[in-house]
Amino acid sequence: MSVMIGVEVHTQLNTESKIFCSDSTDARDKKPNENTCPICLGFPGSKPKLNKRALEFGMLIGLALNCKITGTMFFSRKAYFYPDLSKNYQITQYEAPVATEGHLAIGDEKIRIRRVHIEEDPAKLMYVDGDINTAKYVIMDYNRAGTPLAEIVTEPDFTSPKQVRAFLEKMSSILEHLGVYDSSKEASLRVDANISVDGGERVEIKNITGFENVEKALSFELVRQNGLRRVNATVKRETRHFNAELKTTSALRTKEFEEDYGYIFDPDLPTIVVGKDWVEELQANMPELPDQRVARFIKQYKLNDYTSTVLVYTDKCLADFFEESCKLYKKPEVVSNWLMNYILKSLNWRSERIRDSKVKPDTFIEMLKLIEDGKITERYAKELVKEYVDTGTSPKKLAEKNIVKMSEADVEKIVVQTLKQNSNVAEEYKAGRKESLQFLIGKVLAATNKQADPNIIRKLLLKELESK
Amino acid sequence: MLIATVRDYLEAVKSGEIKAEDFLPEAIQKAERIQKAYSPFITIDKKARPSASKGPLYGLPVSIKDSICTNGMQTTAGSKILEGYIPPFDATCVTRIKDSGAAIIGKTAMDEFGFGTFSTNCAYGAPKNPLDIERSCGGSSGGAGCITAAADFPHIAIAQSTGGSITAPAAFTGTVGLTPTYGRVSRYGLIDYSNSMDKIGVISKCVYDSALMLSVISGHDPLDSTSSEVKSEDFTKHLNSDVKGMKIALPKEYFSSGIDPKIAKLVRDKAERLQQLGAKVEDVSLPLTKYAMPAYYMIALSEASTNLAKFCGLRYGLQKEIQGNFDEYFSKIRTEGFGEEAKRRIIFGTYARMAGYRDAYYLKAFKVRARIIDEFKKTFAKYDALITPSMPILPPKFSDISKLSPIQIYNMDIMTTAPNMAGMPTLSVPIGKIDGLPVGMQIISNHFMEGKTIAIGAKIEELK
Repeated sequence: MSVMIGVEVHTQLNTESKIFCSDSTDARDKKPNENTCPICLGFPGSKPKLNKRALEFGMLIGLALNCKITGTMFFSRKAYFYPDLSKNYQITQYEAPVATEGHLAIGDEKIRIRRVHIEEDPAKLMYVDGDINTAKYVIMDYNRAGTPLAEIVTEPDFTSPKQVRAFLEKMSSILEHLGVYDSSKEASLRVDANISVDGGERVEIKNITGFENVEKALSFELVRQNGLRRVNATVKRETRHFNAELKTTSALRTKEFEEDYGYIFDPDLPTIVVGKDWVEELQANMPELPDQRVARFIKQYKLNDYTSTVLVYTDKCLADFFEESCKLYKKPEVVSNWLMNYILKSLNWRSERIRDSKVKPDTFIEMLKLIEDGKITERYAKELVKEYVDTGTSPKKLAEKNIVKMSEADVEKIVVQTLKQNSNVAEEYKAGRKESLQFLIGKVLAATNKQADPNIIRKLLLKELESK
Repeated sequence: MLIATVRDYLEAVKSGEIKAEDFLPEAIQKAERIQKAYSPFITIDKKARPSASKGPLYGLPVSIKDSICTNGMQTTAGSKILEGYIPPFDATCVTRIKDSGAAIIGKTAMDEFGFGTFSTNCAYGAPKNPLDIERSCGGSSGGAGCITAAADFPHIAIAQSTGGSITAPAAFTGTVGLTPTYGRVSRYGLIDYSNSMDKIGVISKCVYDSALMLSVISGHDPLDSTSSEVKSEDFTKHLNSDVKGMKIALPKEYFSSGIDPKIAKLVRDKAERLQQLGAKVEDVSLPLTKYAMPAYYMIALSEASTNLAKFCGLRYGLQKEIQGNFDEYFSKIRTEGFGEEAKRRIIFGTYARMAGYRDAYYLKAFKVRARIIDEFKKTFAKYDALITPSMPILPPKFSDISKLSPIQIYNMDIMTTAPNMAGMPTLSVPIGKIDGLPVGMQIISNHFMEGKTIAIGAKIEELK
């Protein structure tokens, strides 16, 4: 059975001030309702004033998604009563969004972008001693109210939950490369997904955060809807909620008709005419986008396609970290190998992002240099990674007691001694049992208290074994 | 000492003949006496003092319509739902008035949120016409008209018009009402009725006072994105402009049925006098006029119904013990807080923008407005100004108003809705009396041509 999926991605835009007033958007160290003023609280007589930067961020997103930028645009009021809306209407874009008709390639497939528009974020509601159904009351924090949001709406072009996840990862990287989005902020990417299977109605899953959750929610829905269809039951048109703990969806409300928001033009905000010059200027100053960066990585650092893609699309700060490190240590293949195979794995295990971690390019390359200089063994370095990621302590310091101190002459003595003690194994090797070499290396290494480089041990062992 | 006019008073203060500090308490006492007789105010500030140490209006008593926010002074917009609301900021026009040194003596009565033509929809009681207390002062800026007519001390009123709320009270109280071009005066701090049409303006005893006050309050304001970049000017300089050679038109639709023929005749007589002074007066036709009223109400009430959504008893204004869920709570607050006309207009406006009706009503009204603006623009390509009656009737008795249906009341705005929805500046000047009741003449000009209305208005004033 085939499936159709479309998504709406909501992202907070990383402007300094709110979309319609001059309050700061950064409330991380602020008390509730501290970043507010008569405008974002909707006091009588206050009027919104558009933050041009928020509009430009919307335009940049549109351009990055190959959209047409709307020449004449305006804002609308979406009217509905809800306590998180200070005016009981939201200022958004309805008939004239910032951008329309774009597309984004996911592998060989093209996902069409229907529209990109900007709007104001409502306040944050907190349910006291319970959830939306059980709490006795809610408390409201308007610090978030008026933070600019962009909403990106796709056509229902996705054919699998996995593809949606790939799209979201790419989208997130694009937004980060544009510098319009701060992925470290709480819930800064929220997804509504529509999914329908053959013969079923469209089901909307609201407000999912986290790409993994989106994939899980859609996978659950797909199984649920296919199950219903297999027994010829109807899939109702409804809005569902994703429970991240149970990894299931549950019905929020049945949608018999579209909500009527009674949209009108917002008469406080004049029509904006976007001239060709403005678009061209934005286009000219467009930052490097992920696809371009991947291509550059392949060319500049001689990395393969896979490695470049992982570095760029996992997280913009991983790619930035890689480039910083390459400036300090000019062996990109070594940098990418250690970064992807060890550091990233350790971070993933801790569910940490490189930017928020204690790992820094200068200390990271210290480790690579220690290996290169033969001061620590690769094997030891792999053990060291965990402690380094945990503490961020300079690898030099961490490795102090394990720095390879033993000279080759000393190692040679131990090699000779070990061969004597294990003469039967040495004989086996000479008789053709090549695996025995590994056993002997282990023995020597243990005898040196891991103070010797296994490569040197191997070299010396072979020399001894061949000579006799 | 008897000071008759604003101009004389300001000169006397400037020369040191009079001390504003001595004069103001006396003026406020007078205002309180007027309040007892006619109720023009919702709030009076007994301690009003000059707001700045100097300025062109130093010490002048100014009243502000209660839909305009005044920092620290109750602002209700005539509604119970905002009873006791003290704004934390001044409207831009109030800031400018304060900077000019004027003293804000109080907040004037109005139809709730501007919803009315007779000030009978005010939650705090309707102001009475000083010329006949059984009659209305007009609306919605009725309190502003009332105090201006009754004041026996120098004073200027700040009023506001969406569809005629300055012209109506000016006509009914025999005062001058100046409605500027949309965008000429910042709306920041004005409690919205219909944002695309709301205009802050002036009601005063004479044309000079209105021109003087417009010079103070007009000019671009970055806080109001719809405020015009057109520079403010000294509008009093137009008072002495000659009308000789001016081309003035009388649109026949404004003199047809539904208009008191005595009023129509009086306006035509005055136009003839202008012709004698050298103006060229002709009849024209503005055939789209009849569509203005319905289109005006579609736009105004669609916008109003969203503007009023914010009043839900959570952050300011009327509050009750919180019971039930959010929907139940705000419904209770709105049921108690809004008057009947506000509820009617919210329902009307919500209906006009609902899916399925939006195209036929809300969006179509915008097309009508664009056509009406176009019709005015074409007319003003040939003429400097249009002259019409201000109101189709004489000030009505309260007992008669209560018998009118909402549609009959809406029809009272036929002279004013077209220029108001087109954002054209208008000036209403008193032109005499019929049966002892005042009659006003409305002068309409092209966008930002307030100067022409002032020049004509001043000549009419001299003819008295």
